[in-house]
Amino acid sequence: MAGPEPDMLRAKKNIGGKRMDIISVPTWWTIWMLFHLIVSVGLLGALTHQAVAVMMPVRKMAGPAGFVTRFRAVPAPGYAFAVCIMWVITFILGSYIYIKYRTYIRIPIEQAGYWKTQGFFDFKEHVASIGLVLLPAYWFFWKNAQDPEYDTARKVLTIFLCVACWFLFIVGHVLNNTRGFA
Amino acid sequence: MSTTNATTAAPARIAAASSTKVRTFVVTVAIVGVLVYCICLFFNLPAFTYHPAVNRVELWWGPARSGEGPAMYWYGWTVTTLIVSPIVGYLATLLPENVGKKIPLILVWLLPIIAIPYLIWDLRQWWFHP
Repeated sequence: MAGPEPDMLRAKKNIGGKRMDIISVPTWWTIWMLFHLIVSVGLLGALTHQAVAVMMPVRKMAGPAGFVTRFRAVPAPGYAFAVCIMWVITFILGSYIYIKYRTYIRIPIEQAGYWKTQGFFDFKEHVASIGLVLLPAYWFFWKNAQDPEYDTARKVLTIFLCVACWFLFIVGHVLNNTRGFA
Repeated sequence: MSTTNATTAAPARIAAASSTKVRTFVVTVAIVGVLVYCICLFFNLPAFTYHPAVNRVELWWGPARSGEGPAMYWYGWTVTTLIVSPIVGYLATLLPENVGKKIPLILVWLLPIIAIPYLIWDLRQWWFHP
């Protein structure tokens, strides 16, 4: 007579349910990771444009605009809402794939002794959460971009989020190279 | 009809986005959010613990158990932060307007910058792992 099924085995069987009949488990998680990547690329682009625009605003065009001038001459306030939405979506997608990461990727990384790589991932998760709570203030400062009272806070917060986003992106990329879902 | 609604809704949205109460709320959420997250990390105060290998959620902090795989606390720390900071933000909007306006804006960007070295220090187990 067979004993009771261990919790861990039962949970493994239930992960994914019907969807695992159509695609493999690694494919499922890789697809979600690609969505996470695609939205993060949009976020990275928007935040970089905005950060460059606040650091080097275009005051007056003298002659034909070059690539750098066009890059920083974007209507920066128009990016704020999109940045908030993309940060939240990227965050939610990242939180979802983190479930699989914790068991399927982190454990082998620890077994291989890549401690600093693991440390950078933990740092990434902290930075992402800190960025999340800053979004309402970031949105408000950009909505009131004409108010000089918020100039410094808006500039520093935008640059902080841009640097954070680049950091999150690079760490995620390196981790995926270390060991992906596939 | 719809044109009238659209023309009246736009200034209302702009007014909402620049009101003192909204300013107090977002500034408080940013300041308190960063502080609460760091406090959650320091004292290990997750709203819940998730055990991914057995797909089980446990209220507050729970240890990883033998045969049940690892325990995840980050979701719990983030949820604690996302619950506490808007509540404090809302309470701040109940303060008189002149008090709300006195919340220093510098903290909105200074605290996240100060939090970075703390977060790096908090992860020292990984940097100095033998």
